[in-house]
Amino acid sequence: MALGEGAAGSILPQSLQTRLKRIAVILTAALVAIFVTIPVYIMVAIAVQSPADVFRGGTVHLIVDTLTFRNFRVLLEDTNTVQYFINSLIVTAGATTMSTALAVAAGYGLTRFEFTGKTLAARAVLFAYMFSPIVLAIPLYVIFYSLGLLDSYFALTMALTAISAPFTIWLMWQYFQTVPISLEESAWIRGASRTRTLWDVVLPVARPGYISAAIFSFAVAWNDFTMARVVMSSDEMYTITVGASLFLDRVTIGWGETMAVSLLISIPPFLIAVFLQNYLLQGFNVGGLE
Amino acid sequence: MARAIHLDSIRKEYRTAGSVHVAVDDLSLTIPEGSFTTLVGPSGCGKTTTLRMVAGLETPTSGEIAFGDEDVTDQAPQQRNCAMVFQSIALYPHMTVRQNIGYGLKVQGVPKAERDPKIDEAAETLQITEQLEKMPSELSGGQQQRVALGSAFVQDPDVLLLDEPMSDLDAKLKAELRVEVQRLHQELDATVLYVTHDQTEAMTMSDQVILLNEGRLEQFAPPGELFDYPVSDYVARFIGTPSTNLLPAVVGERDGAYALEGDGFAVSAPADIFADRVGESITVGVRPQYLSSEGGEYELTVVAEVVEQLGTEFVVHGHTPDGTAVDVVSTEFGGVEHGDELRVGFDPADLFVFDAEGQTLCHGDDLTKSPPQSH
Repeated sequence: MALGEGAAGSILPQSLQTRLKRIAVILTAALVAIFVTIPVYIMVAIAVQSPADVFRGGTVHLIVDTLTFRNFRVLLEDTNTVQYFINSLIVTAGATTMSTALAVAAGYGLTRFEFTGKTLAARAVLFAYMFSPIVLAIPLYVIFYSLGLLDSYFALTMALTAISAPFTIWLMWQYFQTVPISLEESAWIRGASRTRTLWDVVLPVARPGYISAAIFSFAVAWNDFTMARVVMSSDEMYTITVGASLFLDRVTIGWGETMAVSLLISIPPFLIAVFLQNYLLQGFNVGGLE
Repeated sequence: MARAIHLDSIRKEYRTAGSVHVAVDDLSLTIPEGSFTTLVGPSGCGKTTTLRMVAGLETPTSGEIAFGDEDVTDQAPQQRNCAMVFQSIALYPHMTVRQNIGYGLKVQGVPKAERDPKIDEAAETLQITEQLEKMPSELSGGQQQRVALGSAFVQDPDVLLLDEPMSDLDAKLKAELRVEVQRLHQELDATVLYVTHDQTEAMTMSDQVILLNEGRLEQFAPPGELFDYPVSDYVARFIGTPSTNLLPAVVGERDGAYALEGDGFAVSAPADIFADRVGESITVGVRPQYLSSEGGEYELTVVAEVVEQLGTEFVVHGHTPDGTAVDVVSTEFGGVEHGDELRVGFDPADLFVFDAEGQTLCHGDDLTKSPPQSH
């Protein structure tokens, strides 16, 4: 227990309070875990059994006793899943890179340079973050239509960047404020140019910040449905989220295959969460999102 | 190679939303090459701003800065061959101690084979050889500051700037590092400019002290001169602990003899300085160390309020009967209690006399030059 917390003026003895607090924390954690885990379990259970086994006897059979990759095989053989998955990877990688680069540049500029309209720019960034993606969808559609860019990776990458950039810029802006300027000044005095200082000092120090920004923009881009639905119009350009939603309309594709594709969609975010969780927490702490 | 630092009518203004704040005002001085000079003053007096202008991190609003014969006013910090140690230490958290110390050399394109011996030498001087492969976060505050000094050391700068490098360290480390900094000064061929708000550091380390008061130069002199011949009551109060006692007095005349008349004393004064000041309010300054329980030429009554023990000495904080605060330092006052009345003596040679604006009228030796006149 942290110093200064606890019993001053309370009715319960301190030891009892500590125990109650522990129990409350454990209960809450268990409750949250149950709510999060059960849907994931159902997804996995349906995905790895054949539909015949799952729906045997008229009820949904959720105890995994037979293991099969039939559902995945159907996805590979009868659908465009591989293409969808590749499309998703391409636009997600593009949007993540764009959004992070933009955030680092804008965040550094907003922190380190004084210019007219700086406050206005900063407010505009926050304001833009409050828009729902669907508000941007129609104007962006019109823009891409006029430019003849509809149904292209480039258009979707830009659209996804537009959704995530306000938040990532704001995140990096906050993060750079925690990087002491004396680090840079010390490098300048030692003869390093501004650009060199950026590479040698600023970027390495800001790494937890821009990794958080990258993770956020990855999540936005990977999970996006709206923009892909609006911008892409041909089957071979759909991302996996749009593609998977279309399965539900098809007679030949059942719940088993749908759950299998859902499982596939979950893999990249899961891997990122596992490998980068430390960075994620560090960066968001600074952004005030503990 | 060490170079002299010339500041010529330096002025620095900060403009915020219509109001102008003058941080440094008309500062002109020359810091001799190779000297150890301390910029001292209370918080907000413009000393760090001055240092940052010398480093090139701030541009003066007007005025010129030159290193030796070279005008550096418009040079970027990269071009000036300065080294700077920051108050926040500013070690790169992602580099090892070795990389931190060697970064300046790396930027200048010195190959690794030449860098390493220099780094090792610096580390040895500063006793951080065993820390070379560690990360800065693994070091204690004192070690981190040594690393920062090491970075300055390997660069062989013309000008070494230190911005309150010890303000976050405890007293013991400060004492150790003071020696370290002075050794650095001896080994380097550099002009050292050291910023501090701690007058003890200023007095013990430097050849010259620059005392600033709200952006203006108050006095620029060697430490001893600052202590014995302050140009104003501001200097007298800032230098020395506890502060100089300031006793209000009036210039009086009796039968052609002049005297400084205060609460319980009348110090005879030379006519050449005070003849045309009869009736003026002045201030008599006397350091607490020069008030003696063994008496002196003149005496003063002090009512004790608080007694502090500093090792063998005692500091009595008290006031005169009319309420002027007076501190006395002596080894004799161990038994003094709250409310006791003490008689303390002082000699005119130890006094400073300031006019109503706080400027020095004369020092003690001027008071004793003329023979004491009969009362």
